[in-house]
Amino acid sequence: MGEHVIATQDELSNGDRKLVEVEGREIAVFHVNGEYHAYTNWCAHQAGPVCEGKLTGTSDADFDRDSLTVELDWCKEGEVLNCPWHGWEYDVTDGTCLSKEKVQLPSHSIKVENGEVILTL
Amino acid sequence: MSETAQHATSETTVIDTDVHITVEEETVAEYMDEPYRSSITESPHPIFPSSSWDQRMGGKIDDHFSTFTSPDDLLAFQKEFDIEYPIINTFEPLGKFSQPDLAVNLMQAYNDLLFDRFLDDHDFLGLASIATQKPHKAAEELDRVGDEDQIVGVYVGTSGEYPPLGDPEYDVIFQAAEDNDLPMVYHGNGDEFLFDFPMHNKGFNNYFEVQTLGHPWQQMATMSSLIGEGVPEKFPDLDFIFLEAGIGWVPYMMHRMNKIYHMRRSEVPLLEKSPEEYIRDSFYFGSQPLGEPNNPADMKRIVETIGADNLMFATDYPHWDFDHVEELDKYLRNYFTEDERKKVLYETPVKAFNLPL
Ligand code: FES
Repeated sequence: MGEHVIATQDELSNGDRKLVEVEGREIAVFHVNGEYHAYTNWCAHQAGPVCEGKLTGTSDADFDRDSLTVELDWCKEGEVLNCPWHGWEYDVTDGTCLSKEKVQLPSHSIKVENGEVILTL
Repeated sequence: MSETAQHATSETTVIDTDVHITVEEETVAEYMDEPYRSSITESPHPIFPSSSWDQRMGGKIDDHFSTFTSPDDLLAFQKEFDIEYPIINTFEPLGKFSQPDLAVNLMQAYNDLLFDRFLDDHDFLGLASIATQKPHKAAEELDRVGDEDQIVGVYVGTSGEYPPLGDPEYDVIFQAAEDNDLPMVYHGNGDEFLFDFPMHNKGFNNYFEVQTLGHPWQQMATMSSLIGEGVPEKFPDLDFIFLEAGIGWVPYMMHRMNKIYHMRRSEVPLLEKSPEEYIRDSFYFGSQPLGEPNNPADMKRIVETIGADNLMFATDYPHWDFDHVEELDKYLRNYFTEDERKKVLYETPVKAFNLPL
């Protein structure tokens, strides 16, 4: 347990990430719209390097039963982390998996003090 | 590849029954004769047919495939995944090529390339590719390369091949495979769904639907044709290996063919026992892509039904739907004995491929 400075605020523009090794674990911190989120680089599917994947958006769909039309919406641009191994999608703002309930990336608490991004492990 | 994958197989010898090496068109062309070589290098459009599906979903899934081209890539993969023996193949299913002579020349080129770039200087194991368009040529090819120790099976894509793969037209291939102590290895494909099921390929709206069906439909068609034509009865020393459709389809096919056999025995008089018995005696299955039931106990039942004597591990690396070893091993460790686990990861493939280990 302890606090670790893993990046400076200046290093991470919006949409950037940094992968670090802390206490033998690979952890990535992501900067998304002024907030910082940290996860272990370990995908719940087959343990792939999820934090090295693309940040993209995803599709949402709504079916209108009366008109029989589907409305497609490309959403969450920059907030969907795709595991590079098989494409599992995670919401990078809270670590939840978009295709499987109760699946969550292992997350870690992050705070910013004096321009430093600090991870508590 | 990353260092983060965590797995527990480092103390177990693992044979991976399905590893693809990527061969670029210009590279295989170097091993071809004219006029076929120029067909590849000078053609104004890619001559290798492919569907237009976006398999990697605009980059959501990484491409490990196009960079996996050299023995060094294979060695790095072995180290990373703790795979002692990868059984490699040159992937491209040859049945989809429209020009039979070109397919035959490609077959020879793929096998020459396999020796030249992978087998001659390393102790890898590999599969000999065949083009089924000209069965006699395929049989000759097996006689040419089949007695090399490092060649451990006959690699056949199951998409684009016509007629279905148990047809008597292929008996010369079965005969050559049996004479050379090589199992037939059938490999399903998603992208090539277009050749077997063109109407469906056009009709579906997303690759989810195509990938769900492509591999198992091709493998079911192949299995049904092999059993229905009595191939295991005609060539009793031949083994049949199925890769890349997972395993859930296998119990279904065994039981369904049993049922139909009992109704229609007179149509298949070569058969002297039930389809299930032939399958248990001489058919083997690679695990990848293992299905993902919501309740793990469902997978336990499927694995139990097939049994450790017929089940083998496969990654399908570097394809984008590959399985990590852990995917199967978590079931093996939790539900099966250490002896059964060793069979699946090592002993069963040694038997199925007659491996010189
Ligand atoms: S390991 Fe992450 S999607 Fe498969």
